[in-house]
Amino acid sequence: MNESGASGGGSWGVAGLLLRKMTLRHWREAWFSYLTLLAIVAVGVGAFNGIRQASRAASANFGLFNEAVSGRSDFFIERGEGVLGEKDLAVLAEVAADPDWHLLPVLEGSLAQLDEAGAAVRQLRLVGMDLVSIGNLPGFIEQGLELGLTGGEWYDFIGPRDLAWITHSLAADAGLEDGAGIVFVSGGRKQTLKVAGVLGDAETGLPEDLVVADLPTVQSVLGRAGEIDRLEVLLSDRERRADPGYLESIRERIETQLPAGFSLQATEERAAERAGMTAAFRLNLMILSLIAILVGAYLILQALDAAVVRRRAEMATLKSLGVRPELLFRICLLESLLIGLIGSLAGIGLGYLLALGAVHLLADTVNALYFATSAEVIRLTPADWWIGMVLGTAFSLLAGWLPARDAMQTPPAQILSRGDWSPGFSWLRKPQVGLLLLLAGVGALWVPPPVMAGGSKMALGGFLAAGCWIFGAALLSGQVLTGLARLGRGLSGRAVWRLALSRLADGSSRHRLAVAGLVVAVGMVTGMFQMVGSFRGTIERWFDVRFQAELYVSERGVSGAGTINGIDPDIMAALRATPELDFMDALYIERVDAPMGTTVLAGVDFSVWENREVEQIWLRPIGSLEAAEGAEPAVVSETFARRFDVLSGGSVILGTATGPRVISPVGIFSDYGNEFGSAVVDLPVWRDWTGKARAINTSLYLNEGVEVNTLRDRLRLEFPGLDIRNAGELRSLAIGIFDQTFRVTAALNGIGIVVALAGLLLGLVAIFEESSRTWQTLDHLGFSKKRLLLAAGLEGAGIALAAWVAGSLIGLALGWVLIAVINVQSFGWTLLWQVPVAGFLKFGFGLVAAGYLCGLASGAWWHYRREQV
Amino acid sequence: MKVDLITLFRQKRVCQVGSDARPVASTVGELVRFQGSGESTPLARVRYGGGNPTLRCLVLWMLGCLIALSTAGAWIEPPVLTAEGYPVPAPDTAPEIPAAHGAHRAYAIEWWYWTGHLRVIGETEDRFGFQSTVFRLAGAPGVAGPEDAAPFGAGQLYMSHVGLSDFVEQRYLHNERVYREGWQARVGVGELDLRLGPITAWELADAPGFGTTIRYEDGTRLELEMRPAKPMVAFGERGLSRKGRDPAAVSWYWTYTRLEVTGQLVRGEATVPVEGMAWMDHEIASSQLGSDLEGWDWTAIHLDDGTEVKAYRLRKNDGGSDPWSAVYWIDEAGATESVYADQFSWEGVKEWTSPATGLTYPTTVRIAARHPVSGETEIYQLVPRMDAQEFVGNNGSNAYWEGACEVQDAAGRVIGRAYLELAGYGGGLSGQLN
Repeated sequence: MNESGASGGGSWGVAGLLLRKMTLRHWREAWFSYLTLLAIVAVGVGAFNGIRQASRAASANFGLFNEAVSGRSDFFIERGEGVLGEKDLAVLAEVAADPDWHLLPVLEGSLAQLDEAGAAVRQLRLVGMDLVSIGNLPGFIEQGLELGLTGGEWYDFIGPRDLAWITHSLAADAGLEDGAGIVFVSGGRKQTLKVAGVLGDAETGLPEDLVVADLPTVQSVLGRAGEIDRLEVLLSDRERRADPGYLESIRERIETQLPAGFSLQATEERAAERAGMTAAFRLNLMILSLIAILVGAYLILQALDAAVVRRRAEMATLKSLGVRPELLFRICLLESLLIGLIGSLAGIGLGYLLALGAVHLLADTVNALYFATSAEVIRLTPADWWIGMVLGTAFSLLAGWLPARDAMQTPPAQILSRGDWSPGFSWLRKPQVGLLLLLAGVGALWVPPPVMAGGSKMALGGFLAAGCWIFGAALLSGQVLTGLARLGRGLSGRAVWRLALSRLADGSSRHRLAVAGLVVAVGMVTGMFQMVGSFRGTIERWFDVRFQAELYVSERGVSGAGTINGIDPDIMAALRATPELDFMDALYIERVDAPMGTTVLAGVDFSVWENREVEQIWLRPIGSLEAAEGAEPAVVSETFARRFDVLSGGSVILGTATGPRVISPVGIFSDYGNEFGSAVVDLPVWRDWTGKARAINTSLYLNEGVEVNTLRDRLRLEFPGLDIRNAGELRSLAIGIFDQTFRVTAALNGIGIVVALAGLLLGLVAIFEESSRTWQTLDHLGFSKKRLLLAAGLEGAGIALAAWVAGSLIGLALGWVLIAVINVQSFGWTLLWQVPVAGFLKFGFGLVAAGYLCGLASGAWWHYRREQV
Repeated sequence: MKVDLITLFRQKRVCQVGSDARPVASTVGELVRFQGSGESTPLARVRYGGGNPTLRCLVLWMLGCLIALSTAGAWIEPPVLTAEGYPVPAPDTAPEIPAAHGAHRAYAIEWWYWTGHLRVIGETEDRFGFQSTVFRLAGAPGVAGPEDAAPFGAGQLYMSHVGLSDFVEQRYLHNERVYREGWQARVGVGELDLRLGPITAWELADAPGFGTTIRYEDGTRLELEMRPAKPMVAFGERGLSRKGRDPAAVSWYWTYTRLEVTGQLVRGEATVPVEGMAWMDHEIASSQLGSDLEGWDWTAIHLDDGTEVKAYRLRKNDGGSDPWSAVYWIDEAGATESVYADQFSWEGVKEWTSPATGLTYPTTVRIAARHPVSGETEIYQLVPRMDAQEFVGNNGSNAYWEGACEVQDAAGRVIGRAYLELAGYGGGLSGQLN
């Protein structure tokens, strides 16, 4: 082979030959390493794609549960002022007469299904529609649905107020058959619905938690006579609805026919509003999963580098034979490309599986935090394919570039003579870049947060700072490693210790790379530890201060923002009549439009607060701010104040059901209930503005001397549809909901750590491979296998320790950014920064132990291979 | 048993069409007993289904008696209530107008039906054919009476079928809707007042007749006024149209055979003035039909000489025609003559296969019937103005063909226009009904 033979078109031939003879041979020989490598790319791509698909599916249907039955609507009809209700339908009958569309009134609520012992076992979504007219809907017809009226005339099913239709999956899971009773609580009342039939079959794919009933039945069950939630417009022609021109012509026709006081809104507009509500949530998830793929990229780099190390002698020989360095570079890149392509393909599949597993987790989170949703079927879109392939391949190529350059630059003479020359990561020895990145991170803190759709703010500066600091710390981690190793030299004089520590103190590029990768993962995990811990601690403190009542009452089965029906006013009145009661502090809430997205308008009876000390964590106590003239005085949450820029007073216009209303803060309290902010007004005002009458919960303050748990037990018997808890029980419930919302974060953290440890293992294998001659020499000098393994273990433990120290330091900074910058900017709440020291120590111990085991494993692998040879 | 609402409605439609199929004896009996007895408002110049008190009537009556004795027997007194508890239409009940046009809520089944041909004013040829039908089905017996003001009532169920054929553009628009009584379906009791999805129909204020608005796809809308050129015909003995031997199997069956139509067709920005001729049926009953029918062919013919013909053939599962299949002639004064299955033939001349459903319909038909008075065999060949007039319901099943036709005599001369209904060509109705 000569140089001319390796140029021009012939160079591709040579490349192919080398790929076959060298690369693929190595793949065959070290199949386990490459399989691990492919798995790493797959995990990275899978984590990113899986989270993306799952979050999309979890918040895709925006709580419109009827879509599963009726098909997706095209428009909504809204009232300009006042709450849309059944009374409006007669006025709209003329609009409904046009055969080009269907008007679909819908009322939705939630049920908590009870088992025989009376425990809530399942949260169900109850959807009320006109069960006769849905038979006209093209979506209903297209799906081949029928109500399956069994054994009776049509009026046997439409007239009664206790019949419901369930989905095939619910029937199977809950063992419910036609005629079976579903015992549940809703609105604080225990009730029973009878299964009239099963909708669809196993193939229909309706949400498991969907229960459909005639609209008057749902009104009766929810105690909402005369109410409807919305009036949807579905076009008859399902094909032409995709044509914007046709949609526009329909919009014009409907608007022409709409009576005064009503308006039309496109579903897409509402969907965009909902999408805006979860934009920050989804973005945070994306960033977390991107970190996972970054750690993955680091692993690819490490593994490819290990591959180059293994083939260094071969490459030197090839170069001596005249193969051009550029060709070696190309082959290495081609290898990266192959790994990227194959790994990405596997990652897309893995992501799909991950999404299947995570979607319900995410749907629960969206339910708890934002709005009612039901996980949609996970779908792989063309975009998922593209993003997965491009992401995996691009990161592989990027990661493969340094080792490829290394391969290209390897001087044959030096390699053949020395064996462990390694120029590739010389930049890891230069602290300047790392320091610059740390400084850049500080500068990024001054970047103002851009406002996203839906009104939430994107903490761009915080994320940039976090990114800069992570990479800066990764680059500087080598210094920590060598510094610690030097310090440790004096601790023991044993040969194994001295050997391991001297190798670490040398700080080869490969050692530094292993530490750097681990630092990224450790920093991420410890940062998140702090944030979650601080959040938890703050909430606990908030509970201690805010919740002073003896008993807390809420609708049974309610587990989050999306499942609230409110307590029946009759039941509230009965509660109020309890003789042991000193006073009752009820909370009423309603989502309202705000200048950017939505916010929460709450109502409390201020007269109850008079002459009583109201415990709150006040950012600005009541009275410290003066209400703007002409505006309704309100107590607002910190989130609200930051979001609408009224920390120092001012006014905000809210779009309520009865028209625009102006509120002005007179006090600001800390609140961690939602990221949209809350404005609290006096109850009569709230009722007037919203037209609603249902409290979502109430606190019971008891007369002195009342035995709390005895009263609680008595009230539970009296009101089986209510959840009645003492303060301790409420606290554990709230913490449970809190923990649930961070389950996804914990899962991503876990993925990051697993990937990082896999990287450590690969890195150590590469280190041992590269130091073969050293080990062989030691072997010849009588260094036993046991001591070799011990040295390897110590080396691994040392790397882990250095990564833990550097990672924890940067993790502290990350924790601060997450708490003081990202949370404040994204969610508008101030958390008390708490460092979980014990957790840090435990994590460090575990990490060092894992590093030690990785070292042992890589040493054993090296030994095994040597024996094989 | 699974009950499909659409099938249920179709069953009722079968029942009503079948309601004309009565024993000869009852038809003959009505000629004798009820001739010329109806009166009231101008619209109530009701003709009770028979002809003139002439000798031929007596002959027919005697003949009828003989047949009745050998087949259906004498008058069967209907019960007050059906076995389910619905009221049964009572004999000797003169339809009081306008209340007769309104809903009879307590009775189990009711329908209003209009078909007609329209031409653009100023043109000589017909341009459009239309169909508009409202079905009503009562809820549980005993509770369906009073009007339910709730927006989602459970007392009554309604269905609308509308069709519009444009002979020039060869375009057929049609749609079906099912509603419960409530905000999308209201039907008045004291007079004609239908508000049911795409169909609105009412009594004209200034003269006898009806106004209607029918909405089709793409914003197309028909706004018509229909005035009777002849008095209303009430078919059947003592005002009851008998369906079978079951004592409760009777209905009130009232028809305006010739309505003069004026109005306009609105399409997008364009408004086209139209005029023409229409036919209206209104029937009330509480009984169900047997399940041995495969389907039926039915037509309402407006002859250019000012008379009308109604003919139908009930096709049985075994391939034969039901003996109560019949042809009716309505003369210029509104008097009727009729013959039954053994006196006429109905043949398919040409078929058409629907590209939408794959069903094949005999859309060109030849009816040959011996007129009971003249004794001559009349030939009516119905040729569709366009083939694509198949009505496909919401769920794709229960498709039928209902379209405008021109009517030719034996020599091929155009002698009138007709609406033809061909039902049960989708594999038989009995399977769907049961």
